[in-house]
Parts: sequence; structure tokens; C-alpha cells
Amino acid sequence: MSGRGEVDVSPGSGPDDPIEEYLDRLLVTLNGSPRQVRHTMAEVEAHLRDAVAEEIASGRPEAQAEAAAVQRIGPVHEVTGVTPAFARPTAALGRRVALAGGLVGGIGLVTVGISGLIAWLLVAVKGDRFLAAPWGPGSYTAADCARWMAADPGHGCIAAMLNDHVGDILSRGAAAGVLGVLVLAGYLVLRRRWRDRGTMTALPAGSAEALGAFLALLATLGAAATAVDLESAQRGAGAGQPFSLAAAAFLATVFFTLRLLRAARRAPS
Amino acid sequence: MKAEKLKGHLDLLLLSVLARGPGHGYEVITRLRDSSEGAFELPEGTVYPALHRLDEAGLLASTWAVVNGRRRRVYQVTTAGQEALAQQADQWRTFSGSMSRVIGGAAGLVARPAAALAGDPA
Repeated sequence: MSGRGEVDVSPGSGPDDPIEEYLDRLLVTLNGSPRQVRHTMAEVEAHLRDAVAEEIASGRPEAQAEAAAVQRIGPVHEVTGVTPAFARPTAALGRRVALAGGLVGGIGLVTVGISGLIAWLLVAVKGDRFLAAPWGPGSYTAADCARWMAADPGHGCIAAMLNDHVGDILSRGAAAGVLGVLVLAGYLVLRRRWRDRGTMTALPAGSAEALGAFLALLATLGAAATAVDLESAQRGAGAGQPFSLAAAAFLATVFFTLRLLRAARRAPS
Repeated sequence: MKAEKLKGHLDLLLLSVLARGPGHGYEVITRLRDSSEGAFELPEGTVYPALHRLDEAGLLASTWAVVNGRRRRVYQVTTAGQEALAQQADQWRTFSGSMSRVIGGAAGLVARPAAALAGDPA
């Protein structure tokens, strides 16, 4: 084995330690299984410490020796064997954004589905008019009325229209909910597959949760304001739809906020 | 020598260096530098993907050992690696000999006009 490197070089911990900084960059760039990543990290760290010891033994101060060791080993992509254009940060960022989109999009769709469920309960308690408000007399054409009444025989134009609209709202909610569950299932599968450190650190911890919480809060406030407006302007007619959306969006806000807090607690200070 | 030129022959160089005895990554680089008398200067990290590739291909075998107080991955050439080394070394000698003959002939032609410009009155 090599006789070089007799100087004892202990790992540094300062924020500007070039060896530590290099190893950090390597860690988030390496491809492979956790074991392969650990092995390469151990090899490269031993290499860098040896190089520092050799530089110090040749008379360089420690800071210069560390900088020289990093320069000698070359850019991180030399160690990973992947050219920078295809290096993991780019792919990892794509994967992380896809995961964030899957989580936020999936929860968003499920939220619409839950709002449909709430709307269905509201219809059962308060009737169709709470969910879909009819316009004033003369607002609907004879053709529209004929179409609605054909699909709902035995009811007048307004009642048939309300049934049709409520059915549309509930079926859209159900479809969104099912789609959301599928998106979330895909998200969970991909998250299991892409749990490497490079992907997980490509965006700051809690990014998806922060975005989700912001969008859900926006939806909650917007829908609640619309529901209050309809409640006061139309005596509640049609307020059920924004109200159910506000309630579901509020649940999503709570969900994302709790996840965001958990991510913040886990993140290193 | 430029690192890019060396990269095409890195497998042969690494097998050659490790054929002299097992060694870890830093030792491989040191041997490479010393035996080439400093001519082969390449980013030291370059050896790791090549070592790992040769390890996966079965031309090298690696074990972990504590050397000078640090845990290191020590590589050694396998039987398959020795055969590959012999084959690649033969190919290189053939290639190198052919290159030398071609370049040697051309170098003589290039030297003559320079000599003529320097002092030949004809």
C-alpha cells in the first residue's frame, strides 16, 4: 500500500471546508443504490483525505492542501462518470418536480372529489337549489327545457334543469376524485422508486407541501367568499357548490400544512 | 498528456497498474503518476467510474480494508482481468508499433524542408 499520507488529516466541519463541500455535491449527484452511493462516498473521502495529507506533507498549509486535493480529483462529474448535461441534478429536478406535481395535483383532484361528496350530502339535506341556482324566468330556451325535461320526465323545466346541473356537479366531483386517487397511487409508486437522495434534495424540503398549502388556502378563501356572497345575494341559492369546495379545500389546506410542519421539523437546522 | 487522450486507454492502464499488486483508488493514481514519471496527469476522480466498471465486469475484484486508519476499497485483478490485460496489451503494442512506423516516416519528411530553409542554398 502507499507510503504517502502519513500526516493525520481529520475531517473538517466548517461551512467553507472544500472537502466537505465537495462531498456534499458528490452525494447529491451520485447515481446508484444506497450501498453504491455509500461505497463511492467512502472511497472518495478517503482519497481526498490522502491527497490533503500528501499536500500537507509537501509543505502546504491545510487550507491550500484541501483546495489542491479538490482540484486534483477534478469536477464531481469525473467521479460519477456522467457528463454534466446528463448529470443527476437535471434529471433529479425533473423527478422531484414530477413528484411535487403528482402530490399537489392528486390532492387537488381528490379535493374536488370530496367537495362533490359534501355537495351530495348538502343536496340530501337542503335540496337541489342549494347547489345550483336557477336563473330568472325566461332565461332558458325552449330547446334547453325540452332537453332537460326529456331526461327527467314528470318535472318542469326548472326542476329538470336543477336535476341535470346537480347530476353534472356530482358526477364531475366523482370523476375528479377517482382520477385524483389514481394520480396519488402513481405518486406513491414513483416516490418509492425515486427515493434517492439526489431526487429528494433537488427541491427544498416541503416545497410541494408549501405550494399545495398556498393553493388550497387560496381555493378555500375564494370559494368561501363566493359562498358568502351567494348566501347574501341569492339567499343561499347555488351557494352549496362553493361552500362544499371551500370545506374540501380547507381540509386540503390542513393536510398540506401538517405535512409542511413535519417537513420543517425533519429538515436540518 | 491530455486527460482526454488517456481516457480511451484507462482500462488498460488501470489493469496494468493493479497487475503489480492490489491497491486502493488513491494508490492506483499514485502508481499511475509515478510509473509515467508524471506524464499521465488526469483528474484523479476519473479512475473511480473506470474502477467500478471493471469491478462490475469481473475484471477486478474489490474488498474493503482499513489501511492507514481509513476504510478503503482495495482492488485486485481477477483471472479474467489478467486475460483482458494480456489481450489489450497485445492490441496496444500492435497499434503503437504501427503508429510509430507511420509517424516515424512522416517525421523525416517534415524535418527536411525545415533543414532546407535553415541553410540549404539549393
